[in-house]
Amino acid sequence: MVRIAIDIGGTFTDVVAETPDRLFSVKVLTSPRHPEVAALNGVARVMADNGLSLTEVTSIVHGTTLATNALIERRGAKTAFVTTAGFRDVLEMRYEKRFDQYALDIEMPEPLVPRPRRFGLRERILADGSVLTAPETAEIDALADRLAEDGVEAVAIGFLHAYRNPAHERCVAERLRARLDPAVTICLSSDVAGEIREYDRFSTVCANAYVRPLMTRYVERLRAGLTAQGFDGAFLMMLSDGALTTVDQAIRFPIRLVEGGPAGGVALAAHVSREVGSDRTLSIDIGGTTAKICFIENGTPRTSRRFEVARAWRDTKGSGLPVKVPTVELVEIGAGGGSIAEIDTLGRLKVGPRSAGSDPGPAAYDRGGDEPTITDAHLAVGNLSAENFAGGIIDLAPGRAPAVIARDIAAPLGIDGAASAAAGIVELADETMANAARVHGVELGLDVARFDILVSGGGGALHGARIAEKLGIRRIIVPDNAGVGSAVGFLRSPVAFETALSVVEPLSEIDRPALAARIAAAMDEVRAVVAGAVPEDRIACDIRAELRYRGQGLDLALSLPPGPRLEDALADLPARFEERYRDLVGFTLVEVPVELASISVTAREARTVKAAHAAPTRPAEDPGRTRAIYDLGARATLDYREVPRDAVGCGTAHGPIVIPEAQTTTLVRPGWNVRRLPEGHLLLERDAS
Amino acid sequence: MTDAADIVAQNVLWNRLISVCEEQANALMRAAFGAIVREAGDLSAGLFNAEGQMLAQAVTGTPGHVNTMAASVRAMLDRVPADKLRPGDALVTNDPWLGAGHIFDFVVVTPAFIEGRIVGYLASTSHIVDIGGRGWSAEAASVFEEGVTFPVMHLRRGRVLNEDLLAIVTANSRVPHEARGDILSLLTCNDTGVARLADLMAEYALRDLADLSRFIFESSATGTRRALARAPQGVYENHLMLDGYDAPIELRATMTIGEGRIDVDLAGSSAVVARGINCPLNYSAAYAAFGIRALLTPDVPNNHASLEAIRITAPPGLVVSAERPSPVSARHVIGQALPDLMLGCLEQALPGEVLAESAGALWTMSLSGAGATEFASLNVALGGMGARPGADGLSATAFPSGVGAVPVEAAEVAAPLIYHAKEFAPDTGGAGKYRGGLGQRIEIGSRIGEDLSLSAAAFERLSTGPAGRQGGRDGAAGQVQTTDGTTITDKGLYRVPAGERLILQTPGGGGFGDPAERDPEALARDREHGMVSDEAAKTIYGSNTNGRKTK
Repeated sequence: MVRIAIDIGGTFTDVVAETPDRLFSVKVLTSPRHPEVAALNGVARVMADNGLSLTEVTSIVHGTTLATNALIERRGAKTAFVTTAGFRDVLEMRYEKRFDQYALDIEMPEPLVPRPRRFGLRERILADGSVLTAPETAEIDALADRLAEDGVEAVAIGFLHAYRNPAHERCVAERLRARLDPAVTICLSSDVAGEIREYDRFSTVCANAYVRPLMTRYVERLRAGLTAQGFDGAFLMMLSDGALTTVDQAIRFPIRLVEGGPAGGVALAAHVSREVGSDRTLSIDIGGTTAKICFIENGTPRTSRRFEVARAWRDTKGSGLPVKVPTVELVEIGAGGGSIAEIDTLGRLKVGPRSAGSDPGPAAYDRGGDEPTITDAHLAVGNLSAENFAGGIIDLAPGRAPAVIARDIAAPLGIDGAASAAAGIVELADETMANAARVHGVELGLDVARFDILVSGGGGALHGARIAEKLGIRRIIVPDNAGVGSAVGFLRSPVAFETALSVVEPLSEIDRPALAARIAAAMDEVRAVVAGAVPEDRIACDIRAELRYRGQGLDLALSLPPGPRLEDALADLPARFEERYRDLVGFTLVEVPVELASISVTAREARTVKAAHAAPTRPAEDPGRTRAIYDLGARATLDYREVPRDAVGCGTAHGPIVIPEAQTTTLVRPGWNVRRLPEGHLLLERDAS
Repeated sequence: MTDAADIVAQNVLWNRLISVCEEQANALMRAAFGAIVREAGDLSAGLFNAEGQMLAQAVTGTPGHVNTMAASVRAMLDRVPADKLRPGDALVTNDPWLGAGHIFDFVVVTPAFIEGRIVGYLASTSHIVDIGGRGWSAEAASVFEEGVTFPVMHLRRGRVLNEDLLAIVTANSRVPHEARGDILSLLTCNDTGVARLADLMAEYALRDLADLSRFIFESSATGTRRALARAPQGVYENHLMLDGYDAPIELRATMTIGEGRIDVDLAGSSAVVARGINCPLNYSAAYAAFGIRALLTPDVPNNHASLEAIRITAPPGLVVSAERPSPVSARHVIGQALPDLMLGCLEQALPGEVLAESAGALWTMSLSGAGATEFASLNVALGGMGARPGADGLSATAFPSGVGAVPVEAAEVAAPLIYHAKEFAPDTGGAGKYRGGLGQRIEIGSRIGEDLSLSAAAFERLSTGPAGRQGGRDGAAGQVQTTDGTTITDKGLYRVPAGERLILQTPGGGGFGDPAERDPEALARDREHGMVSDEAAKTIYGSNTNGRKTK
C-alpha cells in the first residue's frame, strides 16, 4: 500500500510517497504553464527512485495554489455575472469604504467581472424568502442569447436573499444551461456560499466561476496523466480548511482550494501536535516573505469562513477579494527571511512588510539585493552560518550582510556596531510575530501562555525561543521532516466536507422540527460528498450553531449533536449562549433576543491515519564546536555549542546550543534545554526557574 | 552612541501601545449593536498618558471620533480630577461639546492603575443606537430636544456600576437594552485595554509611561515638522458653499502655514442656524485636522504631538463652532465638509498636488415607520471621492468619513424596507484628465405597504456639486425625490407614501485636470462600462469617435 501527496507551489512541486514504514520525497521545479507536467514527472521519479509502481498506489492527495495564482494574475475564464436588476454594481462598490484612512492614493481591486459583463435580471426575493417578482422566461432567453454571443466561458449567478430562497437562482441556471453550450460553467451563489451579505456572497460565486474552467481542465489532465501511468486508486484534493475532498467536489467548488497548500502545513503541525500530546499548539511557519500563525487545539486547527484573496494594494488587509469558504484561520505577517529592515520617515527602525523575496533576495545572496533583510541580520548576529547555507544550494557572500546593516541601520541610528544593530532587527522581527500571535489569541479568547509553539519553515526554529519568551510559552516543538511539510500534511488530513446555512431568526421563534429537518438534509448532502471516498461507518458528523444577540456582531459558536437529540439541543441553546457570552464579555443582556445566525454542518472521516517514521538512528558524534552569537539582552557575544541535529540525543542538553541542519537552524537560547522525542521531533523546554 | 537594545525597546513599546488600542477597538466592534458601528466602524479607541495626552489610537475607527477624543480625556479630567479616581472607576459623557459632537456618541474613560498610581487612561467612543429626544434628524430646535445629555460622571465606581445612569438610558431610549449593552461594551473594551497595558508594563518593568511619552511625542513632532516643511509657508484662504438646512451656508478658512505648524481660523463662516446641522468646534477641528494630515503627514501616527502641530480656531457661535444649546445632531454635515475646505487652502500652497473635492458628508438614510408598524432604520449612501493627481476618484466610497454602507440584505432583514436599486449613476463623476468618483442611485420603498418617514438632514450638496481642480469639472450635485413627484430641497422631514419610492442620487467627486487630456483608452473604457455616456464623451471630453468603442 502506497499513498502519494503532491503539493504544487509557486516555485517548487513536492511529491511525497508513503509506504507503511517509509517516507520518500522529491522536490522538482514547478512548470507554471502546465503544472501537471512537473507533478507527473515528480511522481514518476519518486516511484522509479524507490522501486515503487503507481499500480500499488491506493490514493493520491493533491494540493495546489493554482486557483489562487489565477486570481492574483487574473488568468481565469471570461466570466459573466447575472444578478438582481438594479444591483450589478454591488461587485464593484464593495464595502464603500477605504481600507486605509490616511492613504489618499489607494486603489480598489478590479472586480473579476467587468461592468459590461454584469447583467441585471428582473426578479426579486425578499428578506423573508418570499417572492416579490418571479423571473420571466423571455428575459432569461434573451440573456442566454447575449451570453452566447459574447462567448462567455463561465456564468456566476447571484440574486439578493438567495441564501434564504435559492429558487430563482436555480430556475435561471436551469434555463441558461439548456440554452448555452454545455462547456459553459454555471455557478450559483446559494450553492457556493449560502450566507447573508450580498457583496461577500457575490464575490465568492464570481471567483468560483472564474477559476472553475481552468481548474477543471487542469485536474482532468493530471488525472488522465496519472491513469496513463497505471494509477487507479482514489484521487483526493486538499481544501482550504485542511480537509480532503473528492475531485468531483473539488471542481464544483474550486474556490475552496485556494489555501490548500498552507492548510497542508497546518495539517502537519496538527498531526505532530497530536503525536507529541500537545493539547494547545501555536503553529508558526516562517518562510521567505511572510510568517503564518495558526492556533491548534486538541489537534484541530482553528478555522473560519471568510478569507481574503489576491490583495491588490501593497498587500494591505482589505484590498483583496473576499471569499466566504471554510478555511484554516491563518494570520499572515509580513516578516519572513527576505523582509527588509529600514528606517522609516520618523527615524524608527522597521522590519517588513517590504520583502526582497528570493529574487533578488537578501544582500548576502549577492544577486542584486542591496538592502538588509532578516536573513542578513541572522548572518551578522551569528545565528546563521554561511557554511552549508540552505544545504549548500546557495553560495553566500557573508561579508555583505554586516556591511549593509552598518550602512543602512547602525550608522543612521548611531548604533555602535553591525552585530548589535542586527540583533535589534531580529528582536523587532520576533516582536512583530509574537505580537501578532498575542493579538490573534486575544481575539479568539485564548490564553496564549498556555500554548506550545510548533515551528516550521526555514526561519521558524531561529525565532521560536525568543517568541516563546515574549509570550510566556515554555515548550517548543521542532518537527522532523519540515522541508516538505505541506505535502506530508496532506497525508495526515481527513476527508471532510462542510456547508453552511444562514438562518437569522430569533431563537424563540424558531420552528425547531423544521430546522432540524433542514439540518438533517444538509447533513445528508455533506455525508454523500464524503461517502465518495470513505466507508459509511467511518464518517462522523458535526454541527455548529452561531448565535448572537440581535443587533450585535459578536457571533459565538456552539456545537450541536447530530441525530435524534438535535431538537432538544436546539432548545438548550439560549442558556448555553448566555453562559459563553458571560465568560467572554463579562455580562449578559436582558430582554435582547438571542438570534441564530447560521448553522454549519460537517461530515468528516474518523481519524485513523498512522504516520510512518524514519527509524531512530544512533546520535551522531558531537564535534564539540562553538559559535559566537551576539545577544541583545546581554549586550555581548555568547558562545553557543554547535550540535548537528543528528547528534541531539534523548537526554536533556542545556542551552546555549545552536543546531544547524540543511533547511533550518534551531536556536536553543540560554535558559532553554533540548532533547529528541521518540518520534524524531526536537523538544525545547524552558529551564525551571 | 545609542544603544540598539534601547532603540528596539522604544519602537517595540510604541507598536505595542497601538496594538493595545487596536485590540480595544476590535473588542468594541464585535460587541456593538448598531449595524452602523459593527458593519461600518463608527467608533474609536485610544490610549492616553497620566497627563491625559493621547499616546496612541486604534487604526480602526473614524476621524471624527478619534480626533475629538484626543481632547475629551483632558476635558473630562478637568471636571473629575485624577486624584479623585480609584481603581475600577470609569467616567462617561455624551456631552456633544466634550465628546464627539452629538449626543449619540458616548465617550468612556478608564484610568489604568499600577501600584496604586494612575499611569494612563484608556478611552473609547461609539455611536449609541438611540438616546431619546427626536431620534436621528435635524428637527430639534435645541440640544435639549435631541435626547438625554449625561455630563461627565462615573459609569462605574470601583466595582459598582452606576445603575442609576443606566436606568435613565433605558427609560429614555427607543431601544433600551441595546443602548445599555452598547454603553457596557465601551466599559468592557476599556477594561481589556487596561489589562493589556498592565501586562505590557509588567513585561518591560515600566513604572510609568513618561519616557515612552517623550519618545513618541519627540519622534512624532520631528516627523510632523519634516513633513509640513513640504508646504511653502504663507497665508491661504478658501471658502465653500453648502446647501444648509433651507438656506445656503458659507464656510471660510484662513490657513497660516508656519515653521512646523499650521493654524487655521474659521472666522467668516456663517452663524449657527436654527436646526441641528450645527457643528461644535471640537468636531470641526477633528475633521479639519484629518484633511490636513491625510494630505501632508499621512505616515505620522495620530497622537497628542502630531495633532498639536495643527491648531483650528473659530469665534464662538458660528456653524462650525456652535455653542450650547444649539442643536447639533447632524453636525457631520458641516464637519465632514471641512477636509475639502482645508484641501482648497492647501491647493494654493501645493498647486497640482491636491485631490479634487469629494461628495463630503455621509448621506444618512434615516427611515422610520409612519404607518401602523413602528421601526427605525439607519444606513448611509456614499457618493464619489474627488479625482486624485494621477488617479480617478473612488466611486461610491466614503471620504473623509471612514464609515461604509450596511449591506442591502442586512438592512432588509433589520427593517421592513425594499431596496429596489443601488447602482452607479453615470456621468456623475466630474470630468477631467482624471475623473471624479461616481455617485450612486438608490431606490427604496416600504415592504409592508405603509408610509415611511424620512429625515433629509444629511442630504447635502443638492445645489452645487463638488468642485474640480486644475481644470477638472465639478462632480454632479446630488438629487433626492420621491416617485409621487416630490423633490427634496431642504433638510426637513418628509413622508414617502405607501406604494411610492424614495430615489436618491449621491453627488459625484470633482475631476482633476483638463478633460481633453484624458487618456483615450481610459475614456473608451468609461464609455464601454457605462460610467460616462457617449453624449458626455462628445460634449465634455470632446471625443471624436462616434458611438461605442470599436473592437
